[in-house]
Amino acid sequence: MELGYQIPRPALIWILIAVVLVLLPQTIRMPVWISVVALFCVCWRVLIFKGRLDYPSRMVRVAVVLFTLIVSFSQIRNIGIGLDSAASLLALGFVFKLIEMRQKRDIYVVISLCFVMSMVAFLYSQSVLTTLYITLVVAVTMGAMIALNRNSLIADNRGTAKLAIKIAVQALPLTIVLFLVFPRIAPLWAVPMQTGQNSTGVTDEMSPGDISALGRSAELAFRVRFEDGVELAHEQLYWRGLVLDNFDGVTWRRTRNSSAYSVATSLADFRISYEDRIRTVGEPINYNVILEPTQQPWLFGLHLAEDVDDEFFNGRNFELFNNGRITQRLSYDLSSFIQNQTDVLLLDSSRNRNLDLPNDGNERSREFARELRESVSTDRQYANAVLMHFLQNQYFYTLNAPLLGDNRIDEFLFDTMAGFCEHYASSFTYLMRAVGIPARVVVGYHGAETNPYENYLMVYQYNAHAWSEVWFEGEGWVRFDPTGAVSPTRIEQGVQEALRDDPAFMEDDLFSAARFGGIGWLNAMRLRLDAIEYEWNELVVNYDEDVQFELFERLFGEVTEQKLILLMSSLAIIVMIAVGFTVINIEPRIRRTPIDRFYLSVCKELAKMKLVRRRGEGPIAFRDRVCAERPELAAAMTELTELYVRLNYVEKYLSEAEQKSELRALKTVYSKLKAKMPALAGLRRGV
Amino acid sequence: MAFSFREAFNKKFQRWMAKRIPPREQVTLNRKNIFIVPTRNGMLFIFCSGLVFIAAINYAVSLAFALAFLMVSIFILSILHSFNNLSQLTLTSRSAQDVFCGEEACFRVQLSRSPKRRHESLELNFPNSFENPSTASTTSYTDLAVRDTEEVKVFAFSHKRGEFKAPRLRVLTRFPLGLCRAWSVVDLNMHCLVYPRPVQFLMNQFDSGSSGGSDSAINREGSEDFYGLRDYVPGDSLRQVAWKTVARGQGMQLKQFVDYVDNKIWLDWDMFYGFNVEERLSRLCYCVIQLSKTGNVFGMRLPGCEFSPATGPEHRKKLLRALARFGDQ
Repeated sequence: MELGYQIPRPALIWILIAVVLVLLPQTIRMPVWISVVALFCVCWRVLIFKGRLDYPSRMVRVAVVLFTLIVSFSQIRNIGIGLDSAASLLALGFVFKLIEMRQKRDIYVVISLCFVMSMVAFLYSQSVLTTLYITLVVAVTMGAMIALNRNSLIADNRGTAKLAIKIAVQALPLTIVLFLVFPRIAPLWAVPMQTGQNSTGVTDEMSPGDISALGRSAELAFRVRFEDGVELAHEQLYWRGLVLDNFDGVTWRRTRNSSAYSVATSLADFRISYEDRIRTVGEPINYNVILEPTQQPWLFGLHLAEDVDDEFFNGRNFELFNNGRITQRLSYDLSSFIQNQTDVLLLDSSRNRNLDLPNDGNERSREFARELRESVSTDRQYANAVLMHFLQNQYFYTLNAPLLGDNRIDEFLFDTMAGFCEHYASSFTYLMRAVGIPARVVVGYHGAETNPYENYLMVYQYNAHAWSEVWFEGEGWVRFDPTGAVSPTRIEQGVQEALRDDPAFMEDDLFSAARFGGIGWLNAMRLRLDAIEYEWNELVVNYDEDVQFELFERLFGEVTEQKLILLMSSLAIIVMIAVGFTVINIEPRIRRTPIDRFYLSVCKELAKMKLVRRRGEGPIAFRDRVCAERPELAAAMTELTELYVRLNYVEKYLSEAEQKSELRALKTVYSKLKAKMPALAGLRRGV
Repeated sequence: MAFSFREAFNKKFQRWMAKRIPPREQVTLNRKNIFIVPTRNGMLFIFCSGLVFIAAINYAVSLAFALAFLMVSIFILSILHSFNNLSQLTLTSRSAQDVFCGEEACFRVQLSRSPKRRHESLELNFPNSFENPSTASTTSYTDLAVRDTEEVKVFAFSHKRGEFKAPRLRVLTRFPLGLCRAWSVVDLNMHCLVYPRPVQFLMNQFDSGSSGGSDSAINREGSEDFYGLRDYVPGDSLRQVAWKTVARGQGMQLKQFVDYVDNKIWLDWDMFYGFNVEERLSRLCYCVIQLSKTGNVFGMRLPGCEFSPATGPEHRKKLLRALARFGDQ
């Protein structure tokens, strides 16, 4: 076998570490077998290095290429051309390259792919943790590059790591400047990010048990910051998501736009313009929401939220929709009038939709509703009477609701009498519709935890909630929360207080710090970390072309092209110079005494007359040579050299006191010497 | 046409180079004489940063932008660090030994650093240049990380008899990241003398000369007559060991045999009648080597000069140098 290029041992170790680190976060998203293949390849590489195995033969390589092609086709067929399949394929190619790498060039392909894989990690998450992790990956990859270019005999891994960190730290200022000033471009072509991740959060269907399932999760749903220091009471924090107005006896659904029925009704609805359906009272509340990826298109906001930047779609029932699934953390500004009236005039199509019930089933409930309605005079009184029914009877608020049979509403209302908010919202709405009052279920979140460090609200999945909206003549839609009648604590203080003793609460996240809210320092740390995440999101992740433009405008007034170019180039130059100075530590110049400087300038003058002082030639030897070659300079040169030698060598080792007195003498001699210069120059002119 | 253009360009380039980095015995590398270009791997790296950038645009991922910018920054820093790795490195020429034509001439270069700096992964060689198309030979690697000075041997093929001026020495580094290479080509005024290429032939005419004369030289590596004993040195042939003395317990001793050879051999230019100048010089060179090896006393006559008979390494060197310089004046 030809003894070709050998990858230095330390370099290989660095590369393997970098590869494992960069693949690690991908393993949770990739199919398991890819991780197995990756591990296999890493082991193979180690064995090649140890001399136990050879590089893959031509046959193996062809087989690998075929295998990858087949896999990619099946992947595309199964989950479509999406981010997940692309990332998996990239990872496959990456690990196959690992066993095939022989030349330095191959290693650089692997190293470059490490960076590309790091970018893929950012497509999935841009949190502080991910950023720190990728920073580590980049540092290790740089370590691999350094180890690769070092003498293999220097097994100085600590020095390699130090240098890698040093270069990374030096690269940081330039990176920040580029990040801030480099013009951002809007996407060239829209690439839908399809990921196979499961959707999280509130969905557009609600069966009993759906919301309580969210109650077991301590994951963050979104963060909210109010502008102008607005503070809302806890019972006002209803984060409206979707309106579910279609009930089939088990599940509440959003009426989908695709059915012919809904197309007709939506056309009917929009005969009245959007503005005419709203009567607003009071001042709007402005706030910013940062939504965690849900893999669903809908957004959450307070009642009657309008997006400030006009990026989203408005639903028929004042819901907000994003264009496409939300696969990354999304920040948006909203403006809400929480005191408002909507749809004071209700169209027939809309009324019919919100009265629709299955024709049969739940007979006891229907009977109960009819009787109760007859006992009161108005619709509003009826609604309050239903709430009173929940309040006065032995209803329980619990995550562990008993299973229900066919007549769910009946069984819940009269038999089990225990459930989570979806049970109450569902049966309350049913009871309204049963007597001909238009009503609908609304799902979203309720409540929030305040982060005292950055003064924003954190809404968790366990804050998921369902409530009702009832339409009254002359008032429009009015919010009713039957859960509040059962568990006032839930509405006034929050779900943590209400379910304090419920073992199912947050049981999916046993070790979540949110569970240990009682331990002071732990809770403080959790809030502090979340505040950092929030600020990170505000400052870095959300930095896009709009924010950049705003920043420029705030700093430099109106943004013009010339200004931009000027700013960018000057900043780049400043940073380059700064970086250059820190890196190229310019050698300190030899500090010469004035007398030395003078002597050297004389030598320079002489050099112009072709009397060059040779390397290592002392002043006396030089004087002799000058005198021999140019007798006419002899007198001046002798005097000068004598002075120089005496001052420079004989009187050099004086005590400090003497030095001070000599300094003055030196200076006078120096001026004297200087005065001799014209004579010297004159001599030269004479020649 | 193209060739002449290349030649012209090359001449111009050489002149520019000579002006920019003039020949000196000692050169300290600085921004005036260090050149930097990205390597192919560096190009790949930049290409990948472009990929990351495009992905960042398309998916509107802020941190992918940051990663792309970090990659660009790392690349820029790698330029500076590569420069730093060469800057303030001092190269000093040391004396070079004479070689025979066709051998690799070995030039010694001393590298020294200023105390605060480290220079790692330095590659020194004589690159193929226009004038010396095939001087390139193996590359010498060194580090200046621990010690302050380091002596490096750099080799160049010698093609022509006579004074050999070493081509420009290239000192190159890809350290630390391998994304760009910084190099300098310095002329350290290194010279050596190239002797003629020795050509082997049968030297019967010297062996058949009169033997047994009064002035006899002793060839210590002969095999005819027993001369005496000397101590055994590891590496000597076991066949010549005086086993009898070993048996007597006097230690290992070696039997020495010598030849008695005629002295006063004259090497003459006219001995190789019919050969051209270089062929004659090559044969004379071979004779000088062989005769010095056997310890003969010999002289040499070349057109225009004569070297009286003598022996020893000094004499050998003097004759070889004369052969190398033949025809220079």
